[in-house]
Amino acid sequence: MRLTFDTDVETFRAEFAAFLEANLPTEAEAAERPRSSAHIPAWARRWQRLQFDQGWLLPGNPPEFGGRRASVIQQYVHLEELSRRRICHSYNPQGVGIIAASLLSFGTDEQKHRWAVPVLRAEITAALGMSEPGAGSDLASLRTRAERDGDHFVVNGQKVWTSGAHDADVLLTFVRTDPDAPKHKGISVLLIPTDTPGVTRRPFASYTAADDKDFNEVFFEDVRVPAGHLVGPLNQGWRVASGSLGHERTLMWLGEAERMARAVGDFRPATPLQKDWYATLVMDLQALRLLGSAALARAARGEQDVPALSVLKVLGSEGSQRALERALEAAGPDGLDMSATTAPYHHMGFDDDCRGWFNRYARSFGGTIAGGTSEIQRGIIAERVLGLPRR
Amino acid sequence: MLFEFDAEQRLWQDTVRKALLKECPPALVRGIVDDGADAAPLWRVCTDLGWTELTDPADMVELAIVLEELGRVTDPTPFLATMSRFAPLAPGFDDPRQSGTAVHTGVTARPADGGWLLEGTARHVLDGDRADRLAVVTGAGVFVVPATEVTAVRVAAFDPVLHLAEVTFPGVRVTEWSRTTADPERARHLAVTGMALTMVGACRRALEMVLDHVRVRRQFDAPIGSFQAVQHKAADMHVAVERARALAYFAALTIAENDPRRRLAASMAKAAAGECQALVFRNAVQLFGAMGHTWENDLQFAVKRAKAGELMLGGAAEHRALIAEECRATDL
Repeated sequence: MRLTFDTDVETFRAEFAAFLEANLPTEAEAAERPRSSAHIPAWARRWQRLQFDQGWLLPGNPPEFGGRRASVIQQYVHLEELSRRRICHSYNPQGVGIIAASLLSFGTDEQKHRWAVPVLRAEITAALGMSEPGAGSDLASLRTRAERDGDHFVVNGQKVWTSGAHDADVLLTFVRTDPDAPKHKGISVLLIPTDTPGVTRRPFASYTAADDKDFNEVFFEDVRVPAGHLVGPLNQGWRVASGSLGHERTLMWLGEAERMARAVGDFRPATPLQKDWYATLVMDLQALRLLGSAALARAARGEQDVPALSVLKVLGSEGSQRALERALEAAGPDGLDMSATTAPYHHMGFDDDCRGWFNRYARSFGGTIAGGTSEIQRGIIAERVLGLPRR
Repeated sequence: MLFEFDAEQRLWQDTVRKALLKECPPALVRGIVDDGADAAPLWRVCTDLGWTELTDPADMVELAIVLEELGRVTDPTPFLATMSRFAPLAPGFDDPRQSGTAVHTGVTARPADGGWLLEGTARHVLDGDRADRLAVVTGAGVFVVPATEVTAVRVAAFDPVLHLAEVTFPGVRVTEWSRTTADPERARHLAVTGMALTMVGACRRALEMVLDHVRVRRQFDAPIGSFQAVQHKAADMHVAVERARALAYFAALTIAENDPRRRLAASMAKAAAGECQALVFRNAVQLFGAMGHTWENDLQFAVKRAKAGELMLGGAAEHRALIAEECRATDL
């Protein structure tokens, strides 16, 4: 147990800081703003490509995939430096963090170079097609069908909550390929280019604002997908789902810690009651960092404990939600104003992070709903961490 | 920051756990409460195992492990008072065989004959009725006084294992020789952190007992632990314990490394332990149902120890107020 890192980790940190110092786009360059989670303005594409080419995009990857074979601890330090400066390394976070990562874990060499590398180099963007109207927390009950027809699959069905789909070039889509198998065993994963005939995307607004359109419904009507677009073995899609989401979780808590750190940084408590709330946030944030770094140390030793990461998700997502709820309450009538800002504008960040407290609070439900709701996480903690019996 | 026990610390934790499993089983605590059994042999075990020698700041994480594990078994000895209250106030007065405690308020030092005269009465002194020595904080400094010089009366507390006493200093004559060089501020961080660790241990025990209960207790033809309402309460307890435990060890680590964040860290540890015990007490008693209400059920020892900790050295709300002030001055 120590409070500091080894010097090689600090050297790595300094090297990355120097890269940022020398290469960060200026505010003037970054004038065009991203409009969805799969829309990357030209300047941000150049920025992401530069990170890829110099091995700073995903430092844990080998050089051919935008990294430098960094250790888990070094990857943590990399994200810590980005978060401290409020720098976003990709405006297509799911493309880089989940879709490219899944392809690198489960794809063929051809798929890695044809799809993962362009996503990582921001030549194309990607969105994740998992949820359906009837398959949310119970993802394995998904019904979008893919039937083999010669050297193609023919896809019919519907996805929803497909963030950024209207701006994405390709969808990593979970489909049912064996309707007769038990539900976890008949799922496969297909890469579906969004310009394929029969794909219809319909963005719709979130409750934060009528023009906040990142969510999509995606309809598939006799969509013909080449068989070579199958990711991983046929009917083994559930492994891809747990793998791609699972391996991201080791570092996913950092996103919540970042959100919480911003809330702590931007919230200025005035009354004793607000100070009392504030202290809770400071504790939540510190506890999340401590527990997260312990999980990281375990991962660095090669001990992956996915159920234990549910503790981090509950603590982080609910902690930042509570933080934002209280910051909104503390704002009083100023919190009503749609055009209010709550943090200085930062051209390398996400614009939503400096909007009014209501906007920030309303968005915090992404944390407690997406990627396994808090209720699902509590079930995982109860059954898989604490060993309580299943129903 | 690498916030995880190293191999030696894990081994130490294992050793401490095994020793307590053997030397402080639930039957011992039960015997002390119901039949007046003696805790002195367990105290001798603690000293024989070298646990009272963990007074160097560098040993703080090892001491923290002992305190958490003792909290888990409702420590019936004066270990917490000796190690987290007396020892930090009495450097240079080390005697690993002797127990001790601290008196922070109620006693004044009046100059007399080139020395001082200690007078007054201190209430709610932890182990004040049985500690061998007392470290007394006064305006003139901290003095170490043998217990034979004071009168102490044990006061019954809701935690039946806890020793609390009213201690009267009838005019105790002390000299420069019994004055310590301790920094009461640092001593306070250790006292607060020690209490937090004890509470974390007690909360862990309460959660373990609840889990054992809901796995076997059946209603509606199913173990009640399979019901979501029960599972989610248990999960909340686990998250609260993990949070409090992380902050308690962080505080211990800042003491070990003499880190400037230790004042803030100690308050975070105590506040988190306080929040944790509130949730754990409530959920534990609730999930045990009527059984949790009985004197026969050992759950009472764990939850009462945790609740008692909340009422000593400042509660969660008081520490949160300190955190709000302090965290602006300290960069976490």
